[in-house]
Amino acid sequence: MTFEQAKDYLLQKARAMGLEAEVLATETREMSLSAFEGRLEEITQATQGGIGVRVVVEGKVGYAYTEEKTPEALDWVMQEAYENALLQGSGGGFIPAGSALGRHDLLGEGLSAPLEEKQAAALAVEATLRQDARVRQVPRTAYQEQEVQVVLGSTQGASGGYRTGVSVLMGSAILSDGGAPKQSWNVDVDREFHALEPGKTALELIERTARLLGARPLKTGKYRAYFEPKAFAQLLGVISFMFSAKNVLEGKSLLAGKVGEKVASDLVTVVDDPTLPGGIASRPFDAEGTPARRLVIIEKGVLKSFAHNSETARKMGVEPTGNAQRGYKGVLGVGHSNLFLEPGSGVRLEDGIVVTEMMGLHAGANPISGDFSLQALGLKLEGGEVAYAVENFTVAGNLLALLQNVSAVGEKLEWEYWGMALGAPMVEVAELSFAGA
Amino acid sequence: MLSETLVGDVLSRARLGGADYAELYVERWRRRSLRMLSGEVKEAASGLEYGAGLRLIYGTEVVYAYTNDLSAESLLELTETLVKLKGRVGQVDAQGRGGLDFRKQAARGLHAPEVPLSARDRRYRVERLLEAETAARVAPEIKQVQTQLLEWEQEVLVATSEGRWVEDRRVRTRYVVTAIAQGEGGMQTGSFGPGLSVGLELFDHHPPSVVGRKAGEQAMTNLRAKPAPAGTMPVVIGNAFGGVIFHEALGHLLETTSVAKKASVLSDKLGEKVASPCVTYIDDGTTPHGWGSSEFDDEGLATERTVLIENGVLKSYMVDRWGALRTGLRPTGSGRRQDYTFAPTSRMRNTFIAPGDTPKEKLFEGIEYGLYAKDMGGGQVKPGSGEYNFGVKEAYIIRHGRIEEPVRGAMLVGKGPDSISKIVAVSSDLETAPGMCGSLSGSLPVEVGQPHLLISEIVVGGQA
Repeated sequence: MTFEQAKDYLLQKARAMGLEAEVLATETREMSLSAFEGRLEEITQATQGGIGVRVVVEGKVGYAYTEEKTPEALDWVMQEAYENALLQGSGGGFIPAGSALGRHDLLGEGLSAPLEEKQAAALAVEATLRQDARVRQVPRTAYQEQEVQVVLGSTQGASGGYRTGVSVLMGSAILSDGGAPKQSWNVDVDREFHALEPGKTALELIERTARLLGARPLKTGKYRAYFEPKAFAQLLGVISFMFSAKNVLEGKSLLAGKVGEKVASDLVTVVDDPTLPGGIASRPFDAEGTPARRLVIIEKGVLKSFAHNSETARKMGVEPTGNAQRGYKGVLGVGHSNLFLEPGSGVRLEDGIVVTEMMGLHAGANPISGDFSLQALGLKLEGGEVAYAVENFTVAGNLLALLQNVSAVGEKLEWEYWGMALGAPMVEVAELSFAGA
Repeated sequence: MLSETLVGDVLSRARLGGADYAELYVERWRRRSLRMLSGEVKEAASGLEYGAGLRLIYGTEVVYAYTNDLSAESLLELTETLVKLKGRVGQVDAQGRGGLDFRKQAARGLHAPEVPLSARDRRYRVERLLEAETAARVAPEIKQVQTQLLEWEQEVLVATSEGRWVEDRRVRTRYVVTAIAQGEGGMQTGSFGPGLSVGLELFDHHPPSVVGRKAGEQAMTNLRAKPAPAGTMPVVIGNAFGGVIFHEALGHLLETTSVAKKASVLSDKLGEKVASPCVTYIDDGTTPHGWGSSEFDDEGLATERTVLIENGVLKSYMVDRWGALRTGLRPTGSGRRQDYTFAPTSRMRNTFIAPGDTPKEKLFEGIEYGLYAKDMGGGQVKPGSGEYNFGVKEAYIIRHGRIEEPVRGAMLVGKGPDSISKIVAVSSDLETAPGMCGSLSGSLPVEVGQPHLLISEIVVGGQA
């Protein structure tokens, strides 16, 4: 049975049971080529997929999914989803009225290249890394690609699908110039295999790691902070939790009730844009079939809108923003696509700390309280010049206070990929707490 | 889950194609999850996951493929693709030509649940979570309580070209209570999440009334807490989830995944002193009903109790098949993977610091000013540099040897070998706690654990 057939089977079954239902299937083809010591050490090839339903019984919502596409498994899915729905106390759930959404291809020929070229790319990253005498080990370099087909259908008329995918080149290296070693990663993601440059991935990794060698402890104190683009993008990923209308409605967002209010510095404009041409997380419609559109979340410091799915939008009396999120295994949520901080007029380096990298975001940043305390690596600036690298310290504060204290924003956007695409330029924050020696 | 003939055909074909070793991993999961918020079921979901992973090893090179189409045609086609992908035909011995004579081993049910997934109706689960929520509402400031229940049932088959045929069944249950307190201190959280390789009897081992109250009280403590101090100071780390420090600062550095590539700062150090003499560190895959226990690992080897560090001296790494091939060390039953979409690598199971002999109270004596990190969140490490961190969920200031006011929002950071040598005393109150560990072969259930212990100095990442 194909996913298309499984979708039709489930929708028919739902109609027969008198249920409203929405079916989402994804099918992924994946390949990964890892190089080690000049050979392809690990090759992975896969096809994998699953299908999940959201059913509504008198306003109550239930979920179930399967990766096995036999009639028995699909029957089990409908029965489980139905019984799960009956557990909900209050109603109010619904499947939104949908329309024909068409078939879209966002990937095109992006991954079309002979296997040999992809193998060569993985090997080239490793070879380039090993040319540098300071590189002591290259634990992992890999080329990976993923092609994803998404199919959506509902008893309320939604029907459509799209094909998307990415190619990824990554490396990890341990460098030492005789002293304590430093380890870093570099990951480059693109829709087009031919846009990836193995030499660039490797050299950037060396440069980013080498500048941290010979790092010294940092004296505890307050410093001006300069977040490099990818470091700030990670923070934006944590902050995005507060933009979700689902989290607002569940009493988990510090931004609840603040639409129209000033929540950040004038220099802060945050946009989520699923229509971005070439955007890694671009999509034609969201998980409920709401067409994609650009959403301004914060404009010049003022909170303009939360991100909504149809359910949160109805509860808050606004229009859905096309931010419904659901994988076949998951439940209806709110998510972002290409979320970014708009570039500004530039940052001038003075005295302070350049934060090049942060670690432990899942443990050290609490998006509900907004408190963060994160392990960081960086460079000590004196008179606008890098004086030395610093290590074994943390940077701490509150995420909302941080947004309010942004004192300059850089001109060039860089992207990180964390399930969603996160973009940021360099960001200067007037003063932050650093803990170290 | 699959016929012996089909499994035999796949493995033989792989061997004929030149692989030294072939391994087929087949699994079926049934999962249920339930999330409640403010007395109402927000989401209830059920899932069926089903797939196979085929791994071929040529020397130390690995080819892996996975699919969830488990028909004979699909699996044989997959094997052909893999063999062609490698593009090389190697030596074929007699074993590879004929049918395989599987030596079958089945799980003995050492971690079998008393109350299986199919038992008790859904209302029973909702009622237990409601009990936890009620218990979490310890004060009017508790504005929101979220409870989540996860039930996993996994059937596994591992068959190899060496004739191994292992079937295992793993049942795990966990629930997490998160309380949100709101007041002048802003919005603060507290959470507890017990989990074991058991069924619904988890609610008897960890009563909702106790777990809920702990979450509520932690949120209230954090609400009245001031920001943590910043700087280097002595820290007493609490037991149970406190063990996450060793998971990050030592455990990951002892997996052959890093060690075999000399990508760990603890590579080539067997027999050497790597920690202070009061540290004995054990990774035990056999703990009855442990969150990270299983009878067999995901390469089909029986799990075992592995002493990693004894009185400060490195005794063993955690070794999977690939690690054994690269290092010549004996496999320790540590090959694990999230599911069929990952090839296995060496991973931790239930890892803990053995009890010491310092009375807990003695740890605090003599500390003029320091931090008591009572409960911890997750952490992260870079094996190549040993730099690690972990978040503190509940902490107090130690002043003149006494535990005083609560503080919040601190991460502790260090460099593995350095700070491990600064562990100067270990008490005897060992407890363990469940967590999820993310690494190369996916996200896995592991236990961490330790008694209370004292680190003479470490960076506390509060606010200056």
